[in-house]
Amino acid sequence: MTVLQQRVGGAGAAATIERYTFAERLLHWWVALTFIALMVSGFALGYPRLAFLSGLFGGGQTMRFLHPWIGAGFTVGVVAMLVMWARDMRFDAVDRMWRRRMRTYARSGHTGLDIGRYNAGQKGYFWFSVVLGLVLFVTGLPLWYPWLVGSGLGQAARFLHHATFLLTVGGFIVHVLLSAVVLPGTMSAMTTGRVTRAWAAWHHPRWFRERDPR
Amino acid sequence: MSTELGLAIRRKSATPASSTAIRSDTVEVAKLVDIDLCIGCKACEVACKEWNDLPAEETVNFGSYQSHQDLTPNTWDLMRFKEVELDEGELAWLIRKDSCLHCDEPGCLLACPAPGAIVQYTNGVVDFDQTKCIGCQYCIAGCPFDIPRFDTETKKVYKCTLCVDRVSAGLEPACVKSCPTGAIRYGGKAEMLDYAATKIGKLKDRGFEDAMLYDPSGVGGVHMMYLVPRGNMLADYGLPSDPQVPGTFFSALSVLRKLGTVSVWGGLLASAIFWLRTGRHRPPPEDQAVDEAYEAGRRQAEMAPRAPAPVAMSELPPDPPGGPLPGPAGSPPSGNGGGVQGPGSDPREGGEDR
Repeated sequence: MTVLQQRVGGAGAAATIERYTFAERLLHWWVALTFIALMVSGFALGYPRLAFLSGLFGGGQTMRFLHPWIGAGFTVGVVAMLVMWARDMRFDAVDRMWRRRMRTYARSGHTGLDIGRYNAGQKGYFWFSVVLGLVLFVTGLPLWYPWLVGSGLGQAARFLHHATFLLTVGGFIVHVLLSAVVLPGTMSAMTTGRVTRAWAAWHHPRWFRERDPR
Repeated sequence: MSTELGLAIRRKSATPASSTAIRSDTVEVAKLVDIDLCIGCKACEVACKEWNDLPAEETVNFGSYQSHQDLTPNTWDLMRFKEVELDEGELAWLIRKDSCLHCDEPGCLLACPAPGAIVQYTNGVVDFDQTKCIGCQYCIAGCPFDIPRFDTETKKVYKCTLCVDRVSAGLEPACVKSCPTGAIRYGGKAEMLDYAATKIGKLKDRGFEDAMLYDPSGVGGVHMMYLVPRGNMLADYGLPSDPQVPGTFFSALSVLRKLGTVSVWGGLLASAIFWLRTGRHRPPPEDQAVDEAYEAGRRQAEMAPRAPAPVAMSELPPDPPGGPLPGPAGSPPSGNGGGVQGPGSDPREGGEDR
């Protein structure tokens, strides 16, 4: 563990603080894995040239059976995320300043603002995921049970489901890019649940001071 | 039902590049249901069941000559009966053979996401390949005639094949073969159109001024046409007057797909470039990062009394007259702002954060 922290922490520091509890990490990976399964089967269902991906799910018919049920599991996770994290995700005045410094953040990964547990970008991605996750569930229902609605509404649902899916894929790419590639030390928050003091103080100063007062 | 019949394939569902190029069957086939000659004997229903080896279903008397109330996964051909009172107090008994019309622009095929589950041959037959059907039922939503039926047990969709196995061997469909009055005709589509033109003339001579051929252009024409003596009563026959392939939907979906392809690859490319440009942002050494964290807190606290963020101000209650602006720290969260913290709050008292 120490080796991992030294490697990802960047500062050679072994001192860590807890960022995510076991329950939070379990929830994150539940939503992440169901989303990836839904995304892959979604590409297989929505893009004829990617239909071969259905083999990963036991063929087209089994995939058609599984996709909505995985979606139901994903939705349960999204609702649980809402319950668990909504309080932390409320926007405040610092978030408005952060938004004005987004370019600086994109260039350097640091704004110098007194960020709490989450910055405005993380909060934005949270609400983006929750809202679009629920939209995917609502537009997916008529595709699961076509007799719920007429064919006109069914086609509208199919279009919206596809469009929303594409937006979430975009969000997913940005999320993975920032957490796994651009900002070292972030992944361990969701694997071991701990981050180095340097990481915490640098990215989330206010949260750091609360958790680790001098 | 096998689709390896030696027939040239015009297109397959969810198969963008399909084409038989030079190869093509020369004769476009069609059935023509001459409603004038139909006596409602249901021989075609029985022949369909027999040839396709479909199990009989128990029927109930629901006050009609009709055998089944609706098409089912096992009943691909159904005589629909309807009594209609005409203006003069006369009765008209409308009988229509209901089964797949084999559209030239099949809404079912265009809606299907399973490669090869719906096949259209160059002779006009539209057939389902159940081995490739995934049971999504998009075809049902795509069909303007409400023909495909989903079987809840096998989770697949079924409909008339136009006896593609017989047709490919040069035989007429089973329903045509069984019809005792010649009301269901079969042959090249051009031949059927010729017959229809002659017959419509005869019907008009007999007083059916609205006699018409039902070969709707909204679906590109069909390969089971109806000769309707009372062309003004299409709705009573259960035929949509202007059926359409949901073209706007399919083209919108197609645009969306292309947009998605470009965006996903573009997004991945942009991510790679972003990474190359900015690299990875490591935090500074711990001492420096911790000092900076306390510095950020001091900056925030200093900034607050002099220049509070305008947005935060708007969410605070107005100043009491004469009194100084109370610091939000320690004050209960205002009703509208929830836990919004003013910029002057002591970070260590931000009890909302874990």
